[in-house]
Amino acid sequence: MNWENIDRSLDGQLSPEEWETLERAIIDDPEMRREYVERRWLHAHLIAERDSLGSLLAENNLAEKPRQPWLKIAAALALLGLVGFAVSSQSVPPTVATLTEAEGCRWEGSDLPTKEGARLGIGTLALAEGMATIQFDSGATVTLEAPAVLEVESTMRCRLVEGSVVADVPESAHGFTINTEKMEVIDLGTRFGVTTTPIGGSHVFVFDGEVKVIRDEMAEAQHIFGGKSLHLGAAPTTPDQEISREVEPIAQDGNWTAVSTAVGRGKDAFVRREDAHGPTGAQPVLMVKHTNLAPGNERRAVLTFDMSAMPDHEFEAARLTLKVESTGLGFSSLVPDSRFAVYGVNDAQLDKWSESALTWENGGAFVSEPLDPGQFTKLAGFTIKKGSPNELIDVSSDALRDFLRQHKDLATFVLIRETGELDKQGLVHAFASREHPTDPAPTLWFKTAPSE
Amino acid sequence: MKVTECDKVVGITRKFGDFCPKNRRADLRLNEMAESDPNPEEYLELLNENGKSLAAYVHTLVSDRNDAEDILQACRLTMWKKFGNFELGTSFIAWARKIALHQILNYRRSEKRKPVYASDPAFIESIADEIDRQSESLSIRSEALHICLQRLPENQRRAVLLRYYEDCDIDEIARQTKRTEGAVYRLLSRIRGALNECINQQLQSAS
Repeated sequence: MNWENIDRSLDGQLSPEEWETLERAIIDDPEMRREYVERRWLHAHLIAERDSLGSLLAENNLAEKPRQPWLKIAAALALLGLVGFAVSSQSVPPTVATLTEAEGCRWEGSDLPTKEGARLGIGTLALAEGMATIQFDSGATVTLEAPAVLEVESTMRCRLVEGSVVADVPESAHGFTINTEKMEVIDLGTRFGVTTTPIGGSHVFVFDGEVKVIRDEMAEAQHIFGGKSLHLGAAPTTPDQEISREVEPIAQDGNWTAVSTAVGRGKDAFVRREDAHGPTGAQPVLMVKHTNLAPGNERRAVLTFDMSAMPDHEFEAARLTLKVESTGLGFSSLVPDSRFAVYGVNDAQLDKWSESALTWENGGAFVSEPLDPGQFTKLAGFTIKKGSPNELIDVSSDALRDFLRQHKDLATFVLIRETGELDKQGLVHAFASREHPTDPAPTLWFKTAPSE
Repeated sequence: MKVTECDKVVGITRKFGDFCPKNRRADLRLNEMAESDPNPEEYLELLNENGKSLAAYVHTLVSDRNDAEDILQACRLTMWKKFGNFELGTSFIAWARKIALHQILNYRRSEKRKPVYASDPAFIESIADEIDRQSESLSIRSEALHICLQRLPENQRRAVLLRYYEDCDIDEIARQTKRTEGAVYRLLSRIRGALNECINQQLQSAS
């Protein structure tokens, strides 16, 4: 029996028999016992210090720190038996990260500085609009996408309360950890995204490399490799809801008259190439996405307005407004500024689609690629900037006005995204549908001559 | 797995001990659980100050890391329930250790799952006595550990992170760092040796 077996026992390298022999020796031999406790204590402390190991051992701490005077004092006092273990190494609040990009951001309820370039200590960042980048001192970079709440915990740890982040972790910061309500995601050299919703669902997407996921309810950690994802908890799709909306047949605002998809025979829906959930006509959002990387996720929206609600069709101008919504699906930092196109449907037969039945599979001309120029005319386009807030999109063009002048019964549009994404976990854009409980449905506005 | 109310409270206490001493909802939950009517802020402050020391104590006595974590959770709950009996001003860590030792000895008796190394109660008690005897020097050692960790060269830091932060086994580390298991074991052994030596030096220069 020698001291090496003590060390081997710490790493589980002893056979049960060897362990029993060691145990005996420790009970019988005071010298062995003293040695065991000293070695075991170090091992146990490294386990107990787990949460601070990341920041203690981060690369930027490599240079030797000046001797800390409190240690001497603490040691001296402790030797005198005056204090136990009350001196905390965290008595000076450290900064652990820098807010490197925060252009055009709106913040709320943050207890950390939100100015670009600010040094961040431990605390909370709540991003209401925009996209912000945080560089942790360990080297890990986290891009936060609004709306999101992130708690910064150390150079190697943060907690995502709500929203989406994409993390880029260089080798120096391996072990960087993002916590969510449902799980702990530990980087093993990678680029990955985490999203978590207020109703408790969490998603991890690994773009490159490998992460380890630890969950309370699982004994074993799970490893996820590049291109794979893991989803936990509530599904991110918005649940079906009964909507009782007071429908104003026509709203008027000055010289502008509004007709939304909620008026008369109006309808709206989106279709996805790989329909997993059947028709979407009753959903509160219209999802739109274009991707060459994951074609199954391609989505388009179809909007029909009841033009018979308009008393006359001699308007001077026409606009289409769409309220942007968050989907909680995909990461906006993986999608460049996105360009959308609004196509008018020329074939009146196509106006007869049904909200309760339309899917990609039965979508016929609506889902052809490209849209048949005989049946569809591009009327207008708009751009949603990367990370921009959920604004109201307002599109107008002469082509849109002329198209609407000619459609006195029903006017149908197809909304597509023309630009793709950098990674297949890119953002899915969404707009409020007529079923949305609070936000305005897609609406056409017509400028009429002032009444006498 | 079925999550009982008790598990949830333990989960909350655990979370709290580690991260967020000001969580209001958890305060309420804790109040429902306590036998008498102690002050949760006092409890949490003491737990925060002594949490790591208590964890080190339990991990010293219990070789299985998962068992030790289970025991620590149970301890935090029991300590809160009994916190009314704790006399403010006396040593919290000494009180906490007593509860922990009781939990450890009971845990062994009631646990059906065989850990890798089963421990004889006589062994646990002799180690607990030894810790009590060395208590003061051990708590100084813990403080010195921080400084010594920061003096490790880069490759050793990685090994420490893998072993203690990622909780990897020797064979996992061997796979990840492309070494043999024997080489990984020797590296870890060397690191612990260097840390102990550094700690001893720190203690000498401090005294």
